[in-house]
Amino acid sequence: MSSSIKIQNASVRFKVYENKNLSLKDFFSKHSSRPESGKDPYFDALNDVDLEIGAGERVGIIGRNGAGKSTLLKLVCGIYPPSCGHVSVSGSVASLLELGAGFHHEFTGRENLYLNGAILGMSEKQVRMIEDEVIQFSELEPFIDTPVKYYSSGMYMRLAFSLATAMHPDILVLDELFAAGDIGFVEKARARMYGMVNNANILLMASHDLTLMEELSSRVIWIEGGKILEDGNPNKVINSFKTFIKSN
Amino acid sequence: MGSCSERSSLVSTIQIIRKRQFLIRLLIRQQLVLRYRRTFLGYLWTLMNPLLTMGASTIIFGTLFKADIKTYAVYLFAGFIPWNCFNNILIQASNSLLVNEGLMRKIAFPKIIFPVAISISVLIDSFLSFVALFILMLLIQPLFSWALVFIPVAFLMIYFFSLGIALILSVMTVYFRDLQYVITILLQVFFFFTPVLYKSDSLGNGLVAKIMSLNPLSIFIELMRLPIVDQVFPPLSIIALALSLSILSLIFGLFVFKKYEKNLIYRL
Repeated sequence: MSSSIKIQNASVRFKVYENKNLSLKDFFSKHSSRPESGKDPYFDALNDVDLEIGAGERVGIIGRNGAGKSTLLKLVCGIYPPSCGHVSVSGSVASLLELGAGFHHEFTGRENLYLNGAILGMSEKQVRMIEDEVIQFSELEPFIDTPVKYYSSGMYMRLAFSLATAMHPDILVLDELFAAGDIGFVEKARARMYGMVNNANILLMASHDLTLMEELSSRVIWIEGGKILEDGNPNKVINSFKTFIKSN
Repeated sequence: MGSCSERSSLVSTIQIIRKRQFLIRLLIRQQLVLRYRRTFLGYLWTLMNPLLTMGASTIIFGTLFKADIKTYAVYLFAGFIPWNCFNNILIQASNSLLVNEGLMRKIAFPKIIFPVAISISVLIDSFLSFVALFILMLLIQPLFSWALVFIPVAFLMIYFFSLGIALILSVMTVYFRDLQYVITILLQVFFFFTPVLYKSDSLGNGLVAKIMSLNPLSIFIELMRLPIVDQVFPPLSIIALALSLSILSLIFGLFVFKKYEKNLIYRL
């Protein structure tokens, strides 16, 4: 199994709308009397990015807020199609861009496990297979049939993490994952992530936690203004990022 | 080449739906079960709306038209069921992408699942309320006949016809938010141009009748009314017309959806 991510000259371009939604009024007025007021202003969240990630790599993405980290992750996941350029990803992708995305508050933990598993692309059989393991790992046995709206944020996150990491994806995409959870669980979660990475899969994660990045990554990419500024040895990239932050 | 790739894109859409059927099933369940969780009457609430609308309309319009109340009740029932199915699919599915915006921003998956799941749940709702109301109708008049076998087929044709339109509307609503309101209003107007409350031949031969005869929905309503009210199978000509309308609508809907699906995320 060799998973890979190839991004060639990809940009993600957002139009900047004063009011993002074209209303019927605008639509008709645009097509009638009003002269064209020039091209819509746009904003490149990612600008001409070239990137290749191979099997076994643990890639950390760093950069300031709004630099394009999350957009890059979303590009890899396929949430944003590239506005230009190419993205090709081989291997199954599991993304944890936000904890509990797709969780339904009224549903119980178990129901959410099924729903979220299905959202992440699992079949019924696959969810059944991992069900017990996920419940056990998340330490939620007594509460698994309680609606998740009564969960604490730690419980919520444990369920989401256990589920996403239970499916042995080829490529795991994480965005600021370690926000919640007690110390014991973070240790367990870290061990589990190392396990997944050791299975020759790709880990792609964005975080502001530089210590964690240095610890988990085998390669770090620094993004600034939608462009890759530096790419390589974690220690080196993180140090130049730190210098850059201080000098600003 | 163009038509070939179009066909393959339609096929791939159907494959996606088959591959993701587990998710679709869960989303339908969410729609059907969740709504009434922890309510006392539970699912019965779904029946309240059509029951009360039909009851009130029967009394008022039945008196107004000086119709035999029992016959008119059955007539209305057979018209309201397909209308509600069409109406609810359009209203609910057209909003389905906007409602699930949060999810689409965080997880990549085929967006067609949302309108498909919600429309199937409306179809199931409609069918269940058909069964329940049919049982009620039996108290008024014996309605059993072999022609009832055709009802599920009629439901499917109405479903595909509505789904095709709903797919287009769901994409357009993302681009033009005003449409959410326009759709609701237009459907209200459209209701009166559809022979639910009255018979289309009672409009005479004037201009109104001519416009009305262009209403495709009246064909689907006939499809239900003939087996229920007249207790006969619809003639082949009507079935063929309905079938081609639903296939046409579905293919066009899938085509439009497929075409705009990819860039929807930039418009949400």
